[in-house]
Amino acid sequence: MSKCWLHVFIAISVLLISGCNDRLDLEDAAFPLLGGYDLDEKNNLLTYVTVPEFSKSARKKTQELGVRAKTLQQARQQSDAYWPAVFQGRKMLVILVSKRLLAHVDWFRILDVFSRDAKNPLTCRMIMYDGPLSEVIYLNQQDQPFLPLLLRGMVDTKSGRSETVKTTFQDMHRLRFEKGKTPSIAEIRLENEIKLNGTALLDHQGKYADSLDAQETILLQILQNQAKHAVSLTLAIPGQAKRGPLNTDKLSFSTNKAKTHIKTAFHDGHFQFDLAVHLSIALTERLFPYDMHHKSTVLEKAIAEQLKKQFEGLIGKIQSHQIDPIGLGIHAQAFTYKPYKKVEDQWGRALSEANIHLSVTVTIEGVGTIK
Amino acid sequence: MNVSASSKITNLQYILINSGLQVSVFFLALPRILAEQAGTDGWVSLIIGWMITVAASLIVVKIMARYPEGTLLDLLTHYGGKWAGRTAAVCLLLYLFYFGYSCLVQTALITKEWLLPQTSAYMIILLLLIPTYIVAISGIRIIGRYAEIVTLVSLWIPLVYLLPLKEAHWLHLLPIAGEGWQPIGAGVPYSLYCFLGFVSTFIFYPFLQNKSQASMAITVSNSLTLLAHLFVTLVCYVYFSPDEIREYNEPAINVLKIIEFKFIERIEVIFIAFYLLVFSLGWIPALYICAYCTNWLRNTQAERNHVRFFCLLLAIGSFFFIPDFHQNEMIEQIFLRLGILIEYILPIFLLLYVSVHDRFSGRKKA
Repeated sequence: MSKCWLHVFIAISVLLISGCNDRLDLEDAAFPLLGGYDLDEKNNLLTYVTVPEFSKSARKKTQELGVRAKTLQQARQQSDAYWPAVFQGRKMLVILVSKRLLAHVDWFRILDVFSRDAKNPLTCRMIMYDGPLSEVIYLNQQDQPFLPLLLRGMVDTKSGRSETVKTTFQDMHRLRFEKGKTPSIAEIRLENEIKLNGTALLDHQGKYADSLDAQETILLQILQNQAKHAVSLTLAIPGQAKRGPLNTDKLSFSTNKAKTHIKTAFHDGHFQFDLAVHLSIALTERLFPYDMHHKSTVLEKAIAEQLKKQFEGLIGKIQSHQIDPIGLGIHAQAFTYKPYKKVEDQWGRALSEANIHLSVTVTIEGVGTIK
Repeated sequence: MNVSASSKITNLQYILINSGLQVSVFFLALPRILAEQAGTDGWVSLIIGWMITVAASLIVVKIMARYPEGTLLDLLTHYGGKWAGRTAAVCLLLYLFYFGYSCLVQTALITKEWLLPQTSAYMIILLLLIPTYIVAISGIRIIGRYAEIVTLVSLWIPLVYLLPLKEAHWLHLLPIAGEGWQPIGAGVPYSLYCFLGFVSTFIFYPFLQNKSQASMAITVSNSLTLLAHLFVTLVCYVYFSPDEIREYNEPAINVLKIIEFKFIERIEVIFIAFYLLVFSLGWIPALYICAYCTNWLRNTQAERNHVRFFCLLLAIGSFFFIPDFHQNEMIEQIFLRLGILIEYILPIFLLLYVSVHDRFSGRKKA
């Protein structure tokens, strides 16, 4: 008898329960794959979206739209008005922001809806564009994959070789609260075609500070201990003759192993970091004749010295902008907690006054198939 | 009280029921709660909390060993008379009902937030009550088997928590006790919060097949709980930035959101659906114990009717009232204080009373 009642109860609840009430058919949904955020001349928020168009009658595969709105939720409402479908943020692949937006403190707050609404993804790639976003969004190149996929592919493959950084929304969110490290995001430019430029460094408030090219990005990631296997670097070795217009003093190598040991100390009111970089490399290109058999240690030293100069240039850049993309603050917190806590809120300034010693050692493990 | 052979539970079942009660729904917010109090040293508080819990639960087992054939209610009747037993039954009943209710409500709210934003919390509770009813009405042995099944199908969950470790920042864990031991101490009461539930020993003890291993079983159970909590907490600590972690309501879910698979979009959705099984171990045994207590109070043999009554009460009650976000937080706060009082402090006095009483009456006999 009680079994019977149970079945009746289950049947009734299944009939009454509104489980499929919020169902959404694919035809009624528009999935923007890219969200672009910019400011116009009067500093109004401009929101762009790129939506794939599935309809057969459409000649273009994507639709782009730009609206002016105060917040992203409002922008969604306004965008909705242009489509016979409802907007769903859940497939977003790329968030594009303009340098103009990044000139303002705490711009990241406008993206609050991404972290608040559980439906939104946190893994969209953050990319900065140097210029008004409308240039890129409405570019519509015929012979390339469409924009969101292009950008995401660029970031994913190049970050695989450490030539840019793959900073997702979640990483940005994390770094917004992290005092010991400043964010860096991928940067694109437009030179007839869209081009991945390297990395944009932001300061503690998220403001744009400086840009790094591909090689500097690799160096930065070596210091962060996040360089992927086999990153490739090109250096000029001094003392080698340049012949004509060709730069035959150059040498390239890929790394087999890149490791940075960071020692942290606090002396006389200053932080002190000893960064010991060790690289095991394999030559991939050498444009000048060299007696590798007898003088390879000399070459190792020369490479190390050149690398050290480049690292020092990078660190100089970082200290002059009072930022910390390497994350030395995290080391400072872990090993010199008390003094770090005192300067935590002005960590950029403390770091700019810190002594950073660098030592680079290089071992050549392979020279390739020819001498 | 006579326990029939068919309602005995094995040690493993007992371990899993107890760990299920302890883990249930609380671990989702645990990393945040601990980080609010003790920063990234929260895991130290967790270990201290575990030590305290092992001590407290051994006390509980010690008390129960004095009267191995009965539950706490029988024991108290034996030592302090009828009214002592009855008072204990009412207290235990209210406490465990509160326990089960807060688990259920929290589960419903989390499900609503992450899975079914447009379904009312009342509906979710109603749906959850159907399997609850079926399991709880079948008696303690089925609950034990249910706990075993749930553990088996949840074994893959820890593996997925290893994925965020790819981007772990182990340095966040250093320095240990950077702010001294005071914040760690402040975190300890909150770490006890996630061990609450071993009070079930008071009722389940006579049902144990092998009572001589009860102390071992409860220690294993507490250690299992510690491992689960410690693992989740550490993953959250090394993944999130120490200041960021306080921003999330349930960091243990957020940490899954960043996992990217080509074939699945929101992996945390699958998790919450699976977690519902784990969560259900929070309120199913609790409701059963409630039914046991009322049944004992009325001295009838109709446990099933009492389970029915409690399910109905929850169904009707939630129709009229579902706590909102703030009320839920208040429920948690009260629960924490109540839990520490009932599960950690009272057993000490009870043990004192029981041993003094035994010695006293023993002398009288001699």
